[in-house]
Order: sequence, then C-alpha cells, then structure tokens
Amino acid sequence: MGLMGLMGIMGIMTAEAQTPITSVHGSVSDDMGPLMGATVCEIDGNGRIIESAITDLNGNFTMRVRNPKDRIRFSYVGMKTITQPINKTTFKITMQSATQLKEVTIKSQRRVTGNGLPIPQREVANATQTFSMKEVEGMAFTTIDEALTGRIAGLDIISNSGDLGSGSTMRLRGASSLSTLTDANPLIVVDGNVRTVDLNNFDLNSANNEKFAELLNINPEDIADIRVLKDAAATAIYGSQGGNGVIELTTKRGARGKPRLQYSLKLTGTYQPKGYELLNGDDYTMLLKESYFNPEQSDAAANIPELNYDPSFSEYEQYNNNTDWRDAVTQWGLRQNHYVTVSGGGEKALFRIGAGYDHETGTMIEQKLQRFSTRVALDYNVSERIRVSTNFALTYTKNDRNSDNLLDIAQRKMPNMSIYEQNPITGENTSSYYSMLQSASREFDRNQKDMVNPVASAKLAKNKQTSYDMTPELIIQYQLLGMDPDSWQLNWRGSVYMNIANRYENSFYPQELKTTSWDQGVNKSHDNSSKSVSFNTKHTLTLIPAFKNKDHSFMMLARFELNSGSSTSQSVDKTGSPSDIETTMGGVRFENLSSNYSQNRSMYYTLSAHYAYKGRYIIDGSLRADGTTKFGPSNRWGYFPSLSLKWIISDEPWMEPTKKWLSMFAIRPSWGRTGQQPGQDYLYTSTYSSTGTYIDMQAMQPNRIRLTNMKWEIHESWNGGIDLGFFNDRLNLTIEGYSQTTTDMLLSNYRIPSNTGYNNVAYRNQGKMRNTGWEFHISTNRMITIGKKFWMDMNANFGNNRNELLELDELTLDSYNTVYGFSNDETLQRVQLHNPLGAIYGFRYKGVYTHNYSTFKNMTPEQRAEALAKGQTFPVAMNANGDVILDGKGDPVRMMFNYTNDATGRNYRFNGGDAIYEDINKDGQINALDIVYLGSSLPKLTGGFGFSFNYGDWRFSTQFTYRFGNKIINRARLHAEAMTGNDNQSQAVNYRWRKEGDVTEIPRAMYGANSNYNTLISDRFVEDGSYLRMGYAQLNYNIRKKYAQMVGVNRISLYVSANNPFVWTKYSGVDPDISSGGYSPAIDNAQTPRSRSYTLGITVEF
Amino acid sequence: MNTKIYKIGLMGFMGLMGLTGVTGCSDFLEIEPQHEIILEKFWNEKADVNAVITGCYSGLQSGNVIKRMMVWGEFRSDNIGPGSNVQSDGNLEKLLKENIDAKNSYTSWTDFYTVINRCNTVIKYAPGVSAIDPAYTESELQANIAEMVALRSLSYFYLIRAFRDVPFSREPFIDDDQTMDLPATKFNDVLDSLIYDLESVKSNAVKRYPVTKDLYQTGRVTQDFIYSLLCELYLWKKDYQNCVRYADLVIESKKYIYEENRQKRSSSSALQSSNEVEDRFNGFPLVVNSTSSNYYGDAYVTLYGSDSRNIDEKNQEIIFQLVFSDDPSGTGMSANGAVNDFYGNSQSTTGLVAPSDYIYAQIEATGQDRKVYAEKNKMYDSRIYTNCLYSGTGNSNKSINKYTTSTIDIFATGGTQPDASYGSKYSQNQNGSNWIIYRLPDIMLLKAEALTQMMRDGSDQETSDYNKSLLDRAFTLVNAINKRSLCETLLTDTLVRSSYTSKGDMETLILQERQRELMFEGKRWFDLVRLSQRTGNTQVLASAALQKATTSSGLISNHLAKMDAIYWPYNLDEMKVNHNLVQNPAFGSGEDESYQKTTKK
Repeated sequence: MGLMGLMGIMGIMTAEAQTPITSVHGSVSDDMGPLMGATVCEIDGNGRIIESAITDLNGNFTMRVRNPKDRIRFSYVGMKTITQPINKTTFKITMQSATQLKEVTIKSQRRVTGNGLPIPQREVANATQTFSMKEVEGMAFTTIDEALTGRIAGLDIISNSGDLGSGSTMRLRGASSLSTLTDANPLIVVDGNVRTVDLNNFDLNSANNEKFAELLNINPEDIADIRVLKDAAATAIYGSQGGNGVIELTTKRGARGKPRLQYSLKLTGTYQPKGYELLNGDDYTMLLKESYFNPEQSDAAANIPELNYDPSFSEYEQYNNNTDWRDAVTQWGLRQNHYVTVSGGGEKALFRIGAGYDHETGTMIEQKLQRFSTRVALDYNVSERIRVSTNFALTYTKNDRNSDNLLDIAQRKMPNMSIYEQNPITGENTSSYYSMLQSASREFDRNQKDMVNPVASAKLAKNKQTSYDMTPELIIQYQLLGMDPDSWQLNWRGSVYMNIANRYENSFYPQELKTTSWDQGVNKSHDNSSKSVSFNTKHTLTLIPAFKNKDHSFMMLARFELNSGSSTSQSVDKTGSPSDIETTMGGVRFENLSSNYSQNRSMYYTLSAHYAYKGRYIIDGSLRADGTTKFGPSNRWGYFPSLSLKWIISDEPWMEPTKKWLSMFAIRPSWGRTGQQPGQDYLYTSTYSSTGTYIDMQAMQPNRIRLTNMKWEIHESWNGGIDLGFFNDRLNLTIEGYSQTTTDMLLSNYRIPSNTGYNNVAYRNQGKMRNTGWEFHISTNRMITIGKKFWMDMNANFGNNRNELLELDELTLDSYNTVYGFSNDETLQRVQLHNPLGAIYGFRYKGVYTHNYSTFKNMTPEQRAEALAKGQTFPVAMNANGDVILDGKGDPVRMMFNYTNDATGRNYRFNGGDAIYEDINKDGQINALDIVYLGSSLPKLTGGFGFSFNYGDWRFSTQFTYRFGNKIINRARLHAEAMTGNDNQSQAVNYRWRKEGDVTEIPRAMYGANSNYNTLISDRFVEDGSYLRMGYAQLNYNIRKKYAQMVGVNRISLYVSANNPFVWTKYSGVDPDISSGGYSPAIDNAQTPRSRSYTLGITVEF
Repeated sequence: MNTKIYKIGLMGFMGLMGLTGVTGCSDFLEIEPQHEIILEKFWNEKADVNAVITGCYSGLQSGNVIKRMMVWGEFRSDNIGPGSNVQSDGNLEKLLKENIDAKNSYTSWTDFYTVINRCNTVIKYAPGVSAIDPAYTESELQANIAEMVALRSLSYFYLIRAFRDVPFSREPFIDDDQTMDLPATKFNDVLDSLIYDLESVKSNAVKRYPVTKDLYQTGRVTQDFIYSLLCELYLWKKDYQNCVRYADLVIESKKYIYEENRQKRSSSSALQSSNEVEDRFNGFPLVVNSTSSNYYGDAYVTLYGSDSRNIDEKNQEIIFQLVFSDDPSGTGMSANGAVNDFYGNSQSTTGLVAPSDYIYAQIEATGQDRKVYAEKNKMYDSRIYTNCLYSGTGNSNKSINKYTTSTIDIFATGGTQPDASYGSKYSQNQNGSNWIIYRLPDIMLLKAEALTQMMRDGSDQETSDYNKSLLDRAFTLVNAINKRSLCETLLTDTLVRSSYTSKGDMETLILQERQRELMFEGKRWFDLVRLSQRTGNTQVLASAALQKATTSSGLISNHLAKMDAIYWPYNLDEMKVNHNLVQNPAFGSGEDESYQKTTKK
C-alpha cells in the first residue's frame, strides 16, 4: 500500500544537519522610517514557524536561529511580506507598502472543488452541472432537494408527500433498474464523504412507504455549492456507488477576515391545496341509500339507521351532522428557521460555526418537526505545507407524526357523523371523540368501522421519531514536494470520517381509538431503535508534475479507501399496556420482539488522471476497483473504468475571428462504467436462524438459498456533450446526449420455483435495459444590463429520457406480468421488451348507458332506430358496422362484461347507468381484449427555468419547473367517484345517473365491489400529468450599508417569497407530482399534496 | 524537539488510519453474520441436527400448511360450506363454490416444500455430524433419518393427493445454481418412492420415546406413525394385503400399549372403561365416551378438548398429531391459527367455513333421509354434537365445534333427545388444539376398506366363505367405532350386520363411517379421490360434492365428471417460473387467454 512509501518519504525528511549560524540580527524599516512591531520569523522547509521575534521601538531585532537551512521571513500589516534565505547574520530590510502595488494581472483558473482532481473548470470533460447556493440565498428550503428542483437538467425530483420529513424521489436520467429494492436515488456526497444510511435494519414498515429522507439531516444553510455528476465518466470515481448519478455537496468553510456573525430568520406559513370537493352529510346519506337500494332494488337493503335521520335511533345525534373531516384535520402550518453562523480566521486558522434550529408544524394537525443542527469547520495551517482540518456536524431531528393517514381517512369518512360524541338530548358536543360503535349496522363493517376518528387519532395517538446524526471528520493535507505550479507537486490527503446515526421510534395507539374489545390488541405500542456507525478512511495522493513545456499539463490521483459499518436495531410491539409508559405490568403482551445486527465492509482503489495539451485537447481517465462484503469471494471485486475527451475548439488559433462572440465551443465525448450492489449483506452465505418452538425443542431453519452467482449490476454509459459560451461567457449553453445500458440488473425478490422450498431469492442478475436521452441547459451571467444598477439573468433546462427494456428472460417477464382479474380499480401491469416501463393500460370509457336493456328489447325496430339516432345508448352489442346484433329470437344481444361459458368469468350484464366501455374488437362483450395502451407514466420532457432581476439593492427571482407528456392514473378520483362502498365521495357524484334517460358522465351508485364494473381502469381515470409549477418567487432587499451601520450592523437583508404558489395543469387531482416506481405506473393514491407556503425572512450580519 | 514530537504524532495518526488496512485486503472483506449462523459453522453437533428436525415440525405447524391440509383434504367435499365473513377470503369463497383456477392462493404448495427441503437438508448433513460428534450415535442418526423420511413422505403424500403429479426431489436446495424447475413426477412413481423410502427406514424409527417426554409419543414420528403412513400409502397403491398387514401392526401396537397401561391401573373407573373396551369395542383400545352415567362426549374432551394437551395413557387412540399451544406468548409455541380462522373462535363463533347446509339438513332429517349420522331414527350418535355446534333443540348456530371448544357435555337418558352443552370457543389466536394426522379409528377404517376390496367380485358375494369372513372382519372394525359414539352404553349393536351383505353396501358403510368419524379432520375429499381412483370414475365424488351446491350444479357436475378435475391446478405463479410443469387440463392454463401475449417470440 502507498502508505509505506509515505512513511519512507517522511523518514527522509526527519534527517537534520548542523549549523554554523546560530543567531541573526538587524533592523526593519519602510520608506517612512523604522517599523516597530514587525514580525521576524524563521520558517522551515514546510513553512512552519520555528522561531520568531518582534522588532523594537527602533525597528531592531535579534533572533536565535535553529537551522541555517531555513528561511527568514519579515512581515508587517499592510506591507509586502519578504522571505529570504539565512545566508548572513545581519539583515537590513526595507519593506514596501502592499497598497502601493502597480496593477497586476492575476491569471488564475477556477478549479473544480469536487472529490477528484483539481481540474480547471474549463477543462472539465464530463457531464456535470454545478449550482451555487448563492442563487437561492434566503429561500425557505428545508432540504437541498427543494432547492435543486427544476434546476438541473435531467434530474427529476418528485416530492413523496407533503407530510413533514417525508423526503422525495430523485431520478437522474431515469430509473436505471427494474429493481425496487436497490436504491435508485442518486448518491449524496458531502465534502467527499458518501452519505450512506444503511437501510438494512431501518424499520421501513413503520415509516409507511415514505422514503427515508436522507437529505433531511443536512441544513441547506451550510451548503455552498452543489455539483451534479451525470455521466459515468464523472461518476466512475465513485464506482459502484455512483450508478444512479452523484450529487456532491460542498459545505461552507471559514474565510479570512475578522469574525463575522450572521443570523437569519425565516418565518413560513404553509397550507395545503384542496382537492376535489367532498359531499356533505346530506348528500352522502342520499347517495348511500341509493347505492344500497340499486343492486337489489329493495327498500329494506337501504334501511340503515345511521342514514335514516330517525330521532328515535339511539345514536341519532351522532349521525345527523355535516362534518367536513378534511377541514378538521388540516391547518395552516408554521415554520421557523433560525440560523446563526460565526466565521472568520487568519493566516493560521479558519473557522466557521453554524447552528440552526427549525421548528415546523405541518399542514396536517398535530404534525411537528423539530430540528437542531450544527456544523463546525476548522482549518488550521500547521505550516505552509501542512493543513489540518476538522469537520463536525450534528443533527438532531424530532418528528411527531400522525399514526394514521389522516387525509385519506378524512376524505373517506362519513360526513354525517360527528367528530365529538354529542349529547343525545341536546345534541351538543361533549369532550370525548366519537367512534362508530361495533354494534353499528353491519353494512359499515368495512369501509367505516375500521376507520379511526382522524381528529382523535391525531390528538391521542403518539408516533414519535427522533434521530441523531453525527459526522466527525479529521483531515490532514500534506504537500510533500513543491507548493507552486512551477515545481512538481505531490500532495497527500488523509482523512478519517465517521457517521453515527441513531434512530428511535416510539408509538402508542390508545384504546380510545378502537371500539373493539380489550383482548384484541388495544393500547398497542411500538418501539424501535436502530444505531449505525460507519467508519471511513481515505488516503489520496495527487501528483502534479511540472513540465518545462507549458503546453503539457498533467495530473493524477491515487486513492485508497476503506469503509466499515455496522448497525444494530431492536424493536418490540406491546399490546394491552395500561398507558404509553414503559411497563411490563400484568396484561401486557409482547409481540414481534426482534433485533438485528449487521456489518458491512468495503474497500476501494481509485486511479484517476487528467492530461491537457495546450489547454484545449483534454483527456481524462479513471479506474476504480470496488471490493465489498455484499458479494461472495468469487465476485467480490468490481472494476469500473472511464474515459473522456474534450476538444475546446474555440481556443484553436483559427477560431480567433469568432472569439469576440463565441467564447467557448467545446465538444466532449465520454464513456464509463459504473455499477450497483445489492442492499443486503451476507446473501452469498446460507444462514440458519431460529424459528419458534415445538413441544420443548427449539427449532432452527435454513433461511434462504445462497446466492453463489450474484454479481455486480453494470451500468455502461456513453455521453456526448457540447459546451457553448457566448459574449465572454455571458450566455452559456450545454447540450448533452447520452445512452446508458444496464446489464445484469439486480432484480430483487426474484421468484423461483417453490418446489425448492422457497418462493424467491433475494436477487438475481437478469436482463438488460437502456436509458437514452438528451439535456439542454442554458444560463446567463449578467446577460442584460441597463446602466450600473439593473441586470437580468435567466436559466433554463430541459431533459428527456427514454427508457427501454432490452432483455429479460421469459420466465421473469411472466412473473412480472400480472393476470388481469377483471375487478374494479385493478391495473393491468405489463412489462414488455422494447417498451418503456410504467406504461398504462386500460379500457376506453365512453360515458354512461342512458337506458336499460329491457327498454330497448321492448321497442319495435323503428323505435330502436329512432332511439339510437337520438343518441340514446343501450347496453347492447354492436357489430363492426355499428348495427345492433340480434339473436335467433330477434332480441338484441346484451352487452356483457367478461363473459365465459364455464362460470369462471364475471358474466356481468350491463344495464342503464353503467359505464360504457368501448368494445374495441367488436366481439359483443367487454373483456381483456378491449384493453388498450393509454399512455406512459414517464414524462417526455422535464425541466425548469427561472429569471432573476436585480436593481440596485433589490432583487427579484423566480423559478419554474415542469413535466410534460406523462400520464397518471388518478386512483384518488376513482375512489372518490366509485360509489361502491361507504366512503365519502366527491361532489362530482351528484351528477350521477339516477333514472333512465339521464345523460351524464358519472355512472349510477351501486353498493358492492362486484355489483358493477363502473370503475375499471379506463381513460376516464387516466389523466395528463403535465404541469408547469412556479417553484418560487422571491423579492429580496438589502438595506444600504450606511443605514445598516446606523443601527450597528453590517448588513441587513429582507425578503419575501412564495413557494409553490401556482401550478398550471389539466390534472384534476390535488397535485400532479406523482412518480412511478419500478415497473408500475404512476398512481395518485391521495397522498398529502405538496404544501404551498409564504416566507418572510431576514438576515442580519454583525 | 517540537518537530520530532509532531512527526511522531503524525506517524501515529497515519498508522491509526492505516491500521484496518494492515490486516490484509482479503481478510478485511471476510465478515460473517452475527445474528444468524452460517452453513459452514453449522452442523457440528447433535443439537444442530435436533434443531433443524424441530424446524421441520414447526414448518408443518405453520398456518399455511395446516390450512392446506384442511382445504385440500376436505373443503371441496360435502362436509364444508361457507361460514361467516367468507368473502374476506375470496380464494376460499371461490373454492367452496367449486370455482377453482390456477390463481387461487390455496393452490400454492410452497410451505409443504419448505418442510420437504428442511427434511432433505437434515438427511444430507446429519451423517456428517455423526462423524464428528461422538455424542451422536449411529442409532440416533438412523432414527433421525427415519423421522425425516417420514415427515418428507407425509408432505409428499399430501401433495400428490392434491395435485396428483408433483416435482419430486430427495436433494436439498442450497445454491442458486441448482436446477430448480423440475418437471412433475407421476403420482404412482412418487407413491412407489415414498413406500420404498419408508420401507427402508421403518425399522430404524423410534418405537416409544422416553416416558418423561410424553408429548413426543404422539407429537413426533414413531414407528406406529410410519406403519400408519405405509398402511394408507398401500391402500392408495391398491396393495390391500400390505395395507392390512401394516394396519394390523398399528392396531397390535396400540393394543399392547393399552394392555401395558391397564396393568398399571387400579381405580374402579379405569376398570370400567377397560370393560367397555373389551365388551363394546371388540377389544380395540378406543377412547371411552362416557365416564359417568347419562353424560357423553368424553371421547371428544380426550381427543380434541381440554384433555388432549395432557397426553397420557387416556389418549391411547392418537398415533400422530401436530402439537399446538393455547398460550403462544408464554410457551413460544404456535397456537393453531388455521383452526382459529377456519372453524371459529370466541370472537367469531362461526369461522370462515361452517358445516355445509347438507350436513345440517342431515342432522335435522329423520328416517331414511338421514344418511350421514345414525342409521336408526335416533339422535344417539354423539358425533352430531361433537362435530357441529348443535344444541339438539333446533338450528341455533351453524358452526363447527370440533377442535374449537375444550369441553362438551351431552346429557341423554335412554330414548330421549340428548341435550348438549358446550364450553365457549377458544379465544382468538389461543386455540391450542392439536391437529391429528392419524388416530386409531382412521387406521381401522382403512383396514376395513382394504378388507372389503379384497373380496372377490361375483354373485356369491355374501355366500362365499372367503368373502363372508372379510365382511365380518370389516364390520367388526366399523361397528366398534360406531358403537363407541353412541349416547347409550348398550352392549347390543346399532349397526346390523345383516344389512351389509355385499361389497358395495360395505363400501358405502365404511365411507359413511369415515365421514362421520373423521369429519372436519381433513380426510373426506381424499377418501372420495381414492374411491374415484379405484373405480375410475367420479360418480360418488361428484354426487357428494353436489350435495352442497346451491347454484350452477350442472356446471359443477360436468366439471367434476372429469377425472382431472378432482385434483388441483398448479399455481399460476409456479407455472410462470417452471415451464417444465404441465398444467392440469381440467383447469386450463389458468391464464386469461383473451389477450395475446405480445412478449412471446
């Protein structure tokens, strides 16, 4: 290992020599006379101060010298520092004022601050996009992903739900795998350290289906820059970790200068956009009575006391209301973000300390999120050669969540029921919450009795999640050889990084929320704690040779990285507890006691090189070897190479004429391979674990089939990019095209023949998939300026991704493709070769039959013709010519649903008021053959654009995002218009078909899941999900310095902003921000929509 | 000096960072799970073998297995109808209407193969343990292998009775590169393999477990269980001589144990019951049904009720059962979840299934219409009350009683209608009833069936001495069982030998006796399938299944006329991943053919 070599080099440098010069003396002056208090010091080869002295009143000094090979340095505030070799004993120094310099042209290049080589920005040869947090300074973001939304071409960010802390789904250049268990989110890297939260032991069940919000633990205030690495050439230095792209975050560090104290406060009010209007109690009861009457045409079936408004009914008062449940569970949320930073430093040390406190109440009642975060960054220059840095970040998050999906319940709960139990005589609310009694009508057993009172659930149930996240890091940088570009440089950087994450979950579901009896698991509590510690050490050697011929520039890097992590978790459920206090008192039943411990290790070697000739022919290459314990010995190592080229055409001498307006024109092809590893450990071994007791014997079982053959999933990608810059880079344009092929996809829970004793194996490498697409990104740098005070900028990007499944064996395809069961609300899932994922299939909806079958049957042929001509519709079969098919007796053939003659089909006879589905193949019945492709859940185009206007101290900026050309199954609306159960429905059902002759788009009310087929997945519920969203609009004002200083501060800025104020969309649901996961289509399941918010902010700097 | 200290410090720091790396790359990446044991570290000692053997039992105990034993063995028969809230299990609802397709989840066989795979794993690794653990003797090893072969054979036996042809393997599945998509082996080949396997291990099996482990006597594999299994396997193979031979071995063994216990007894009540055995049960050691005058139903309490969990000599009838616990959180053992769900509990008295309307009609029926219970116009068959929750005074609650209550008292004085009172059903998820696989009456009736089949056909059915003696022997067996259940301690017979003078009559009697004796024990449908296999037609089976049909009986009878239809289709998911399976033609592919498969080449 390179370490030994390093030790050797250090050994050489410890050698010392004898010295004849033991002390020096002299005087320091400037052109005005002697300087008192000037610093004289002896510095060694590493730039470290060995000895020092201060000049006296007359500018004289005497100093002992330890080593005559060292140098002597003279410095004074405001003067140019002078460094000389110690070759004499007397120094007479005249210093020059630093402020009287002549005009100097400093030629420096902005260099990339990522995790790889410090390549000049201009020479970057792969697909990356950077984003400075300055652009969104002052915005009220809780997490970085909100800030990134719509800014990065090809990065599609969809918030999972508006619930606090629920995170978002991010896809960079489309999903690259079919697998649902391997994480498809891009890798998050903070200051070169990969943030891996080991989800192995994380209790995902209790986290609902919300993705764990990894970014929640990084305060946006701490972030300086974001760099998104898109193509494999850029991500290859992350090897298998970078398969889904990489988001590199750079945190802010201290800057030289006197200490600066900054405080910012943001106050944000949030609210939830309302969805479709719901029925009130009166409309609801009328609908339900009709719905119970229709299937059996019987008054008795509809005679349900809870719907009858009969004062003699004992619970009458509880069921005679018009409750707006949704209103009862939603509220205006308030968010406060406080953040204090102190930063500063001098020659020796730089520091930045930030601390923030956030307090947030949700748009759903009783949701509360508190976060305390702090980040300390210290840099200490031991000498010119050696710098020690330390970073420490801590985040404490406490999330009080709802125990139930309140919004969903509120949208379904019967509106004639009361929130609070009402006094049976006066009808006034009492203080206790009302829940439907178990003795209520059997009709409500499902769909109502099982629904908790959402207000009671919010107030009484407890569901707390707390997490601590600590990341200490220690870094040493050592410049072993030269320190300037004219000499060979060999730099070592070593770091130790730890990530300690603790998570606790604690929930209690009190007995008041259930009306079932005591022994049916009431007073249920759940405790879960998990801890994970990961340890990472990295050694990087960077070699930058100095060539005599300045046309060549070269640098290379070798890195060795070790990771080891372990995590433990415990969880227990208890029922029958007297309260939520920890207790083992009598009656408490312990259930699902479980604990887990896992360990993982990995090891990475990286080699990376960059070569540029004349600064315009650039070649980059890297190779990374990954070894991890997730694979068995035979497939343990994966190798991930990359290569990229860049030709900056505009720098060619023959392009000189266009240089005036074309400041940058470069093309850059690249190729690279990255990979993906499975999310579980030890899969290559056969394991045994205990499985209960039989009589008095403890049982063990073999757990699974071991995956001897499992190997790395490989992503191979090609990328072609064109960089354009106009008018001295005032307008920058980037165009990228890419093609990424995933092979050996790690398909999770792969079904195997169960005669093996197992239903599936955890993973199997299988199939091939390709993502192709292009991206376009444009940004300006003070493009339009009017006078000195006004300028305007804009940015825009769009991306398009096409996804195609190239190979998958037939057995796998078969097991992914569900068999259509001919039930309402059932999506037919098809995964097909050479087709994108997420396709939506369904019937074509043609309205509602206006008349009954019998009506048509009883008509004379003339009347029939006349009725049809009038546009009346009847449930009769028609042939391809549109003529009614008649049977032997001359009666019309009735339209049927899924007719089979062996009694296995649904054999449903359509009638007036039922949905009309298009009989595509004209076979006189509606069955699976009439299912057609209705669109794709993948957008054709995604992106965003934004503008900013500056006028003096005023700044206005706004950002928009959009998705275009995707379809969504609006299942929320389907349920709200189904009228088959007891759920509350949307007001649209007031326009339902009620009697023959009604012409409407909404079918009749029919109770029972199989009593009708009006809510099959059809284009009635498949909607265009295109939208244009105003992400934010912000107005910023900096109070002039002179006024600010009057009140004793350096800077005050004020801003107001509106987040997510408008969405322009044709989508009828609450929010079209619905993502599709894996191979299933995008389905709107009525999650909490993204909230809208307004922020007032102030930043004060002292 | 400063420099040196600093340099030493730096080197120390670097050393620290490199420390983990020094141990070497390959070692660094070798880690083992901490909360699970890996294969390479397992199979070292006797305790490991015993633990996985126990794993086989706990696999058999799982709700998915017991539910399938019930569903496959009985639910399609005339015994079972829909219970309360059956619509919550759509698959069950459909199969009760004889509307079965490959999508039905009850066609999934995974959990049986899980048991088979565990058995195979033990058979593969146990000899290696015996080689390294001196405490693990050769005879223990052979007994363990016999135990595993018995459980594996039992699992396969269930599978072939349900699906006819199934994939068959004696090798465990350990690696993902093994061939998994095995084609189905023919019914007869599997049957022969099972018989071969059991014949070769039967002499190694444990005869009796130590006295201190009384639950082992019936809760684990014994030689008697292997003989019982062989007895039934031979009956399905139509090898009646061997069936009778093994039935006799079981009966003799049970008699011997009974005799042994009787010697130890001294109390008068025990003597009384022993008289009963001799006088009324023709010497067969059946459990006594009445220990106090005018009260009956004690056999129920002993076999299925509160006494069933205290295994002692009273429980002489049980050969093999899966043992459950009524205190799952206390003992760590499972409760019988399948019975809890299907047959009901204290919360929902009627489970997902109930006795079919036909069975209820039979209870209420009189005279000649009464087929299932007594032959005479009497209410005196106590099994009416022990099988179904039936108070005797009208159809109060349509529900299955067997396995769900711990006590029952049937009061009857000569000639009057008996009156039954029940303890309440077990609390939810605390049903501790053992699930009986074999008990003596089952074997006795199998033997009777074999004896009847040994008769020579022809006009001299009754007159031939050969046939007559077979009929006598068969009748003696049936009669003993029938007499035990009467709510009268009569010494005279209720069944009249002279009514069963032909092979056909005797066959019918045995089938009916099996139905009433083994009702709700998961046997009835298999009996009908065996009969269909023997006769080559499904007449009896179809008419029995149609007894409970309410609608589309025409369709059902047409469907069940096909021999293939009496088995189950392979699960659709299984068909998708194993293209070597050929679907049972009576059920089609199960896939909806009305849309084209665009993915096929």
